[in-house]
Amino acid sequence: MADADQINQPTANRSFNDAMVVDANASRLDGVAKVTGRARYARDVTVPGMLYVQGIRSPWGVGKLAAIDVPAAKAIPGVVDVVVERDTGEYDGDWIGHVVAESRLALRRAMRALAPRWERGEPKVGIDPGQVVLDAPDEGASAAYRRAAHIFEAEYSTPVQTHSALETHGLVVEHRGESAIVHASTQGTFAVAEEIARFIGLPRSRYEVRCEYVGGGFGAKFQIGREGSTAATVAAATKRSVHSFCTRREEHLDTGNRPSSHIKVKLGVARDGAILGGQIAVFGGTGVARGGGGASIPSRRYALGEVSAKTTNVRFNAGAPRAMRAPGHPQGAFAEELMLDEVAALAGVDPLELRLRLDTDESGARRAMYRAGAEMIGWSRRHANGAVPEEGGPIRTGLGVGSTSWGALRGPAQAEIVVHRDGAVELRSGAQDIGTGFRTVIGIAAADALGVPLESIDVRIGRSTLPEGPASGGSVTTPSVTPAVIAAAQDAKRQLLEVAAQRLGVAAARLTIVGGNLRDGERVALAWADLCRLLPTESVVGSGRFDGRGGTLFGEGHSHGVQFAEVEVDIETGVIGVRRVIAFQACGRILCRKTAESQVIGGVIQGLSYALFENRLLDRKTGAMVNPNLEAYKILGSVDMPVIEPILWSDATQTGARGLGEPPVIPTAGAVACAVLNAVGAPVRHLPMTPDKVLAAVDAAAAQPAGQPADGRPRREGGAA
Amino acid sequence: MNRFSVIQARSIDEAAAALAPARQGARRVALPQLKAGGMDLIDLMKEGIAEPPTLINLLTVEEAALRRIDEGRFGALVTLAELAADAALLRTAPVIARSVALAATPQVRNVATAAGSLLQRPRCWYYRNHQFDCLKKGGSTCFAVEGENRHHAIFGGGPCHIVHPSNLAPALVVCDGSVDLVGGDRTTLPIARLFHGPDRGSVLGEHTLEPGEIIVGIRYRPAPTSGFCAIKEKQSFDWPLVFACVALALEGTTIAGARVCAGAVAPTPWPLPAVEEALRGVDLGDGAALSRACAVAAEGATPMRDNAFKVRLLPVAVRRAIEDAVRPARAEEATP
Ligand SMILES: Cc1cc2nc3c(=O)[nH]c(=O)nc-3n(C[C@H](O)[C@H](O)[C@H](O)COP(=O)(O)OP(=O)(O)OC[C@H]3O[C@@H](n4cnc5c(N)ncnc54)[C@H](O)[C@@H]3O)c2cc1C
Ligand code: SF4
Repeated sequence: MADADQINQPTANRSFNDAMVVDANASRLDGVAKVTGRARYARDVTVPGMLYVQGIRSPWGVGKLAAIDVPAAKAIPGVVDVVVERDTGEYDGDWIGHVVAESRLALRRAMRALAPRWERGEPKVGIDPGQVVLDAPDEGASAAYRRAAHIFEAEYSTPVQTHSALETHGLVVEHRGESAIVHASTQGTFAVAEEIARFIGLPRSRYEVRCEYVGGGFGAKFQIGREGSTAATVAAATKRSVHSFCTRREEHLDTGNRPSSHIKVKLGVARDGAILGGQIAVFGGTGVARGGGGASIPSRRYALGEVSAKTTNVRFNAGAPRAMRAPGHPQGAFAEELMLDEVAALAGVDPLELRLRLDTDESGARRAMYRAGAEMIGWSRRHANGAVPEEGGPIRTGLGVGSTSWGALRGPAQAEIVVHRDGAVELRSGAQDIGTGFRTVIGIAAADALGVPLESIDVRIGRSTLPEGPASGGSVTTPSVTPAVIAAAQDAKRQLLEVAAQRLGVAAARLTIVGGNLRDGERVALAWADLCRLLPTESVVGSGRFDGRGGTLFGEGHSHGVQFAEVEVDIETGVIGVRRVIAFQACGRILCRKTAESQVIGGVIQGLSYALFENRLLDRKTGAMVNPNLEAYKILGSVDMPVIEPILWSDATQTGARGLGEPPVIPTAGAVACAVLNAVGAPVRHLPMTPDKVLAAVDAAAAQPAGQPADGRPRREGGAA
Repeated sequence: MNRFSVIQARSIDEAAAALAPARQGARRVALPQLKAGGMDLIDLMKEGIAEPPTLINLLTVEEAALRRIDEGRFGALVTLAELAADAALLRTAPVIARSVALAATPQVRNVATAAGSLLQRPRCWYYRNHQFDCLKKGGSTCFAVEGENRHHAIFGGGPCHIVHPSNLAPALVVCDGSVDLVGGDRTTLPIARLFHGPDRGSVLGEHTLEPGEIIVGIRYRPAPTSGFCAIKEKQSFDWPLVFACVALALEGTTIAGARVCAGAVAPTPWPLPAVEEALRGVDLGDGAALSRACAVAAEGATPMRDNAFKVRLLPVAVRRAIEDAVRPARAEEATP
């Protein structure tokens, strides 16, 4: 194994992509502001005299409001309004009304004075395992079962994961009488501008949405929610500024989640491990929503023969899902990867070998990643599932692998570059940086295309009055906005060069801008400041647009990835320690290496947390969430962090920037589950993989008849299959 | 959070005087409350579960004895981080230092005090959620019985099934600890009598201090061969699933006497006398005998629907606490 200090440095793997990187060393432009607390998030905005809004919410899965003391709440000094819209609640956190007050204290006192008395009904809190059954097999599946040497059947499940962004949902309407500024924590500056129009009581020309920084969104921050629409309505009615943000509890309950799933699989497997086909039934929880459940399985990354797949949405008394970082994919990948390892064990095939055989990526990128990763993690050390090390002791080790891919998605975008006569350069894009590094990334693209250093560019983003860009979903922001930025930079450069050519009396074609200087051939003709001083107007504006066409969901140019995981499992306690994750990820041309690596690391962290800890737990009797905080709702912490090695894959088939935000979160839980199976000898098929479930797997492995372990091979240390 | 006032007590006498209304007051009236590090109390106030009209701040008290670590005694305001790092404590009673060394997070340990750690309120998620009007908050139901009980008691539960959350308390139990008191009629109380089960006293509280009593110091008997093991699901920012504290008297490699106390398994620190008995005479080199003795820890457990796994973990924790106590590296570790 490599030296831990060395592999802790993401840069150790940079030889993989040196040729593909536009800026190898730039740090986040707003990094210092963020870590020093200078960055002002929407939640931090305060306006003198502003009002506060908070929702009144049902506390139970099924609730009927028997009494509520609105007059008592209204009597509290500083309370402006109390509205109760409904007297029934369908889930814990269901919005039934709201309070408006002059201060947070008055708001809290009013909430208490309301003293609501709720009658509790019988809730349904999840997918009933009894309903998780397969239909009668169709023609294709029946044929696969007939031809099969093994029939493999298993059931997997995944819990609800909440987004748990550090900055909760909400916005501040800064009302100025005849106009307003909306400070929003959002993934869609323009989406907010559009949605809020219905509530804010001002024409589109009289308000601006600002989104300077976002404390995380992960897919749940496209819509303004009741917290936002109510704030806007109150602002419109009172012509006062309004601050409305969810509490951590509300954040867990009612701002979306990655929905739960139960996945039943039945496959016909040939003697050599080839999957002939079968059935996959997904039961996807939707909370109170009518749709939005499910899991992306089969993923199409593996050739699974004639598989019929069916999804059934299951409603119950809980907050509705919203998109969450690669919606549906981590759920599906967990089941699919573990299923592959179980099939491999059944057929006595090495699971990596099986993946190499089944992989559907025609570009060959993923196969190359599998091979490189196997080398790095030392796949040849992988022992038979459940092998007992010679020296004994309670620690078992295991290796696992999983894969990912993401379509080359994009949307229309515009951008402007303004070069001022004093030499200042402004890059303008209305799109938002949800923490991905977008601000820095487009700055780099502009600097590169214009020929000036990154530091000289003032990047202005996150405003609905700036050139329109997409909402940040589907990993489209960088691939969509960057082409527009490059076009804008080229346009600005062309105008600058024309002015210079005219003033210097040379052909524009001879001129270029390099390192901020005007060059005539190889010779520096003018320094940047002198060049800009030549402008006849105060500034020149370069415009660029990207039509958003040419995206593909599957096929050429998408962001492939492979992740390897190494775990240690303590078989006496059931505690899993993930030691190392190697994450290969293609993302096309790498604009900013550090923030790109950071995306991969973040995806792995979120995937590990999903694998081991996260679980929205509803009380089965009352339907109330028992862990609506960040203590009992467990999220991976520093001590649990493995060594994570992001490897940005340079791939000749990829020439532009591709989506990167979502794909790295997809394979992690599956790879870890495979590693745990390898370590203990039996699968943990239900996330999160807590010690009780791991101990049950340890028992299941021990109960297998001697000399007949799950994978049909003798249980001993050493040697790959 | 409600409005409340804060008294910055400059001495223990001032704190005791400010707390005096608590001695006369009826239990049901909201009384002034002591605040040490505030790690627990402020959380409870934010959630609307504790609503003291007045906080008496102990951190402003000037007496040095409250912050000192002496042989056999440390002050009530000593932080968990200070306990964990104290070289003398690591030598004389390692179990105490070890019990808090990885509790909570570095941030919490830098603020949380020894007395506050003993008197922190339970972590039961029904207790901590204001919407559940459970027995411990004066209601009529224990929601854990039919609800989500994976973190609840496997011993001594009923009618309330909390586990006592303090890492420090069981460590003090195996060192025959006691607390020094002022402000009431008593000056000392053995640690074993500081806590009561839900069936032995008011289910509303967990400790036996009288209103007005303040802990000023904590005493313990040296236990140089002592150890600790916590089994945690998550290693950062989390409470143990179960943990065990062990103090041994050895004759050569034979256990001549043992004190064993479990944590996170019962509403109070949970001594395991049957394990102590079973360990007596066991040779440390005899792995099988050691395991047999530790297995006794599971006897008599009454797990709830979701926490049977804790019964299995407890003997492992006891065994590893013994290994921790006799770890050869111990001596070097004590020197900073
Ligand atoms: C994330 C997290 C994880 C944690 N994990 C653990 C863990 O693993 N193990 C563990 O043991 N703890 C854990 N804790 C709890 C933490 O140790 C306690 O909250 C802390 O020790 C309380 O000490 P304090 O000084 O802040 O007490 P405070 O919050 O100030 O007081 C707590 C109680 O003690 C009373 N009190 C304080 N001092 C005195 C005194 N001198 N005399 C009489 N009464 C007094 C107060 O009135 C109050 O009722 C964790 C806490 C957090 C936030
Ligand atoms: S265990 Fe105790 S604190 Fe928890 S719900 Fe039951 S009575 Fe309340």
